[in-house]
Amino acid sequence: MSISIVPQLVKKDLLLWRKMILIFGLANLIAIGILAMLYGRVPSWVFSNLGFSLLIIPGAACGMALLMQTNVFEKVKSTQPFIMSLPVTVKEFTLAKLLVNIPVFTAFWLVMISASFYFCFGLGLFPMGALPFMVMVFLGIFVAYTLILSVSILFQSLGITVIAIMFFEMGTPAYLWTVVYLNPISDYIYGSEAVWNSTALTIVTIQVLVVIFTVSATYFIQSRKRDFI
Amino acid sequence: MNIPMAVECQGISKIYPHFQLQNVDLSFEQGTVMGLVGPNGAGKSTILRLVMGLLGPDSGSIKVLGNSMPANQVSAKRNIGFISDDMRLYESETIAFHMDFIKSIFNSWDDEYATTLLQRFNLTKQQKVKGLSHGQRVKTTLLLALARRPNLLVFDEPTTGLDPVVRKEVLNEMMSSLEDETRSILFSSHNTLDIEQISDYITFIYGGRIIESRNKEDFLDSWRRLRLINSNSCQLPNLPNIRSIQKSGQLCAVTVTNYEDTTPEKFTNAGFTVDTVERLTLEEIFLSSVHYAERTAKKETIS
Repeated sequence: MSISIVPQLVKKDLLLWRKMILIFGLANLIAIGILAMLYGRVPSWVFSNLGFSLLIIPGAACGMALLMQTNVFEKVKSTQPFIMSLPVTVKEFTLAKLLVNIPVFTAFWLVMISASFYFCFGLGLFPMGALPFMVMVFLGIFVAYTLILSVSILFQSLGITVIAIMFFEMGTPAYLWTVVYLNPISDYIYGSEAVWNSTALTIVTIQVLVVIFTVSATYFIQSRKRDFI
Repeated sequence: MNIPMAVECQGISKIYPHFQLQNVDLSFEQGTVMGLVGPNGAGKSTILRLVMGLLGPDSGSIKVLGNSMPANQVSAKRNIGFISDDMRLYESETIAFHMDFIKSIFNSWDDEYATTLLQRFNLTKQQKVKGLSHGQRVKTTLLLALARRPNLLVFDEPTTGLDPVVRKEVLNEMMSSLEDETRSILFSSHNTLDIEQISDYITFIYGGRIIESRNKEDFLDSWRRLRLINSNSCQLPNLPNIRSIQKSGQLCAVTVTNYEDTTPEKFTNAGFTVDTVERLTLEEIFLSSVHYAERTAKKETIS
């Protein structure tokens, strides 16, 4: 029986891009440090806007750069024939790409959420009523990421992936503005308690399902590909 | 004794919008070398990619070292070393990084042989790929393919763009890898000299079709150019094995395939004087075959 080489492929990508991941990780820590220094010294609206940008940029940039390097440039730079000449199927190759990209982005995403929740709710920047909306915001980022990742794996095209990044990056704020104007969300956003009504739960559930469906569909579609290079 | 087959392709077709690989049969035994010759766009790379399981055929069957492709490609690729002209390594990394990566995948990796190849190719493990010349890059990919000790080597245009010195080194290493009698090579090239040098079998491919495939000795033995003198303005006999005719005054050069000892007699009987009978180089045979295939294809299109 042949042993899968997925672990070796994952390790290879992590080794290849370790410096880039570490640099973005360091940037993330610096961002948190800057926010800790600024807390209480600038108006709260300045802090929340600046904080949101500082926390998102390193993670989002690392996620995008990693998916570009591991999926798109693997094809553009013709390293894919080298990998595909090894004992690996398209299905395993796809699994390896998912197992490199998703955990790295998830790590940044969890740091992003932890820091945001600490500043927003731990230090009382936002009322607890904003919690469901904040969860939707961060899940929205994850949904956009998985959709872009899926496009990059399925098409391996620089142009299409860049268009997907632009589309989903512009689409995410539009989605958030739509959500925040829904009465069952906006009515409780300034409340002192988090209200998980059916609208909030439905949105969150749909977001989680979209993530699961996108990843599964990507794996399934790739598994059925007969031609790989 | 029944020698197991290295590659068995039967009736394989692959259809693209602007190119069709049609009904390709290609087989050779383990321990032999098959050379694929064809012009650009003939379908050589498509065949090799089908053999590697990187493409799925639209019809037909492919078996490599007894494994059906692409279904059992993982098992087959454990025993195949593949080099392709368009294959690149990771530029930011060293040769050592690539060696460690391949070693982590193949239990058959031979450290001693890898070190020997590094020395023979004048490569340094710590060299980064982005600093390598084209020749050094080809030698590195060859090292990575050979040191895993595969049973089958599949090379797509391995010598393209190499200077004569490096080309010789690469070919020598390919040939010395055949010291293991069970190892087979399938390789493509436009360079007929390379093919002639190391192949046991030769296949000509043109326009997605195999136009000729046989043992190298048979190939070279079966083609001749007859230089004829036509002093009596006679008509050339209508022989099915004539592939090209060049006339200049009374002189006439006729290229034939399936040459037999009786072939000159057929021209003598038709009133010609046979001046000389020459053997052809593989390049000349290839060019004649391609021109004949082109003419036949045009005739088929018109009719």
